[in-house]
Amino acid sequence: MSGLLRRFGPLLGLLILCAALGGASDRFLTADNLLNVFRQSAVNAMISLGQLAVIITGGIDLSVGSILGFCCVMVALLMHAGVPPAIAVAAALAIGLALGAINGILLTKLHLPHPFIPTLGMMNVARGLALVVSGGFPISELPSGFRFLGAGSIGWIPAPAILVVLCCAAFSVFLGRTTIGRDIYAIGGNRQAARLSGVPVDSRLILVYALSGLTAAVGAIVLAGRMNSGFPLAGVGAELDSIAAVVIGGASFLGGVGTVSGTLVGALLMGVLRNGLNLLNVSAAWQTVVIGVVIVAAVWVDVVRQRAAERTERIG
Amino acid sequence: MLEARNISKSFGGIRVLKSIAFDLQPGEVHALVGENGAGKSTLVNILSGALRPDSGELLWDGRPMQLRDPRHARALGISSVHQELALVPQLSVAENVFLGRHPVARGLVNFGEMHGRTRRVLAELGREIDPRRLVAELSLADRQIVEIARAVAFESRLIVMDEPTAPLSEHDAQALFRSIRLLRARGVALIYISHRLREIFEISDRVTVLRDGSHVFTRPTSEVTQEELVRAMIGTELKERLESRAASRAQSEEALRIEGPVRLTVHRGEIVGLAGLAGAGSTELLEGLFGAHGRASAEVLVDGRRVRLRHPADAIRSGIALVPDDRKAKGLVLGASVQHNIALAAGRKRFLVRRSLEERAARHWITALRIRAAGPGQPVVYLSGGNQQKVVLAKWLFAGARVFLLDEPTRGIDVGAKAEIYDRIRMLAGEGAAVLMASSELEELLALADRIVVMHRGSIAGELTREEATEEKIMHLATGGVD
Repeated sequence: MSGLLRRFGPLLGLLILCAALGGASDRFLTADNLLNVFRQSAVNAMISLGQLAVIITGGIDLSVGSILGFCCVMVALLMHAGVPPAIAVAAALAIGLALGAINGILLTKLHLPHPFIPTLGMMNVARGLALVVSGGFPISELPSGFRFLGAGSIGWIPAPAILVVLCCAAFSVFLGRTTIGRDIYAIGGNRQAARLSGVPVDSRLILVYALSGLTAAVGAIVLAGRMNSGFPLAGVGAELDSIAAVVIGGASFLGGVGTVSGTLVGALLMGVLRNGLNLLNVSAAWQTVVIGVVIVAAVWVDVVRQRAAERTERIG
Repeated sequence: MLEARNISKSFGGIRVLKSIAFDLQPGEVHALVGENGAGKSTLVNILSGALRPDSGELLWDGRPMQLRDPRHARALGISSVHQELALVPQLSVAENVFLGRHPVARGLVNFGEMHGRTRRVLAELGREIDPRRLVAELSLADRQIVEIARAVAFESRLIVMDEPTAPLSEHDAQALFRSIRLLRARGVALIYISHRLREIFEISDRVTVLRDGSHVFTRPTSEVTQEELVRAMIGTELKERLESRAASRAQSEEALRIEGPVRLTVHRGEIVGLAGLAGAGSTELLEGLFGAHGRASAEVLVDGRRVRLRHPADAIRSGIALVPDDRKAKGLVLGASVQHNIALAAGRKRFLVRRSLEERAARHWITALRIRAAGPGQPVVYLSGGNQQKVVLAKWLFAGARVFLLDEPTRGIDVGAKAEIYDRIRMLAGEGAAVLMASSELEELLALADRIVVMHRGSIAGELTREEATEEKIMHLATGGVD
């Protein structure tokens, strides 16, 4: 019973929230609006996948919002310079991957004391570079083929939602079913024991931060497509939204714990909340207050649940 | 001064204490023994206010008392010195002793008084430690004394010590006993929990045995023999299994050879013991051999072939396994399942996890090593120390290791699990594996090892065959004496 609750607790919260918002606003539970929620949540869900892997190792990645901003500008600039969209997208992904890998290398090879430090540095560097290369102005009017990834649909399903589902599936297999994924959980659970069991801790950490940079770049491509522009301030604060989605989804800051499904639910929960509060004409300022309260409440509920589970486990 | 009558306690319908009677006189060291799960911790937690009994009563100086919480117990004069030390390493000795109730003068901490009082308390314990030193700089033995000093500074009349010597060498344990005797002479009562039976005979006045939550007996220690005690604890005669000396099955082929500042060989089928005082360097030697500290400084040959050890992964590929001295910090991912922990070292060659194979393996080792767990999916944090240690061992058995480096393999585990681990170590050697095993329990080395290598300050002080080894000879070498 407690196992089920632990697994589906965040999902249950999401469903209750949806029901409540459906009761409060007759525009909330319409197909159009729900598809819209998926589209709006896609970017955060995407970044949160990389953030999840980082948090499972017991780390944190503050640079994802800025990497997203830089990649957003770069993909737009490249296409404006005449580079075909496919190649521009590949380049943006490579940039995200590389910046993330730099985070990991700084962390492991320079022995910086905590992931906070290298990613805080990268957060400033990437944002600064985004402003430098763009001159501070948005780069608008992107090719329509490119925009499909952010704004298009297949049938009635938004393209970014499909992309998110595919990436979730990939991350789910990666974290849950591969030996590398299991190493990642082990590193977060006990780094020393993992090392003494032969886990190549440094290279796994570099990979995890690189993946976090990569998902930020995917988020950048979706966002640029949806907004039809690459703007240098894209993704300001996105790192905090992604951390919120991951912890609402039941991951632990202590490391070793966290699931893709929980994180997806966490990202959707935040999207639903924003959308619903918009429909209810709650001001943006109050929305921020509500989201802050929800983050703390969600984690608190998780702590209570975990304590209860521990009590039963210890006796059994 | 303390009396407990008919104490019972259940968790989730399971009775862990059944009508226990217990009493304590001033100036007595009362040993509490029993296997893990016998109810020692529960009883001690009730006596120190951390748990409330379901039924029964506690009398303090003849008057009934109800302990609300550990704070309340401390205020009455009951303190605990825990296995996991509860000190703040970044603070000084004096600040730790007076943590939470610093002497204050005019709103500011009175350091002069604090240092003076700390020095006096430490002197009462027969130790000289500078109260200004940071706890982080102290040895484990000294940290323990600081914990005890804290209890003494609280004017405690009853101090509970749970496995105080587990992390200590023989030498440091003796120093601890001197402090305990000084406390006893001042009328302080001590409840002493230990798995080391020899210590119980050395230090305690009376001994109470618990088994499966029931009180077996309380008797003056001088009237009990070790056999009686072991039989009372485990119900069967495990003593023979613990001390039996199987004939050496050492073969002539070298399995492990170290050529460096320390020179050592271990043959197939041989168990080589590493003895030495705490800090003599056996942990560093074993971890270094495993590549845990980066490139090994010594040349290492496994089965006659030179191996390069830069990372534990290299050692594992060469068939070397390390059971580290601290299983919680170095051996296990505590929050992860038994299965995940067992598969941690073996399953890395492939890209995809083979769940069914790993589950079968986990079930196999759970049965073979008699690991008491709810199943392969149970997080290891919920297992007892002995079962956790068996999981560490299972990890290496599953990985197919041929050279076993065991660092304090039975530290802090109960007699039953200890016997099982001894059996397994002998079985490993019987199957041709090489075992290099460090232990601060000399009986353990004498019972298991074919040869004993004694270390002193990072180098080898001497070597004794199983026939010539005695505790006296080992201690002589370990303390720097020459042959």
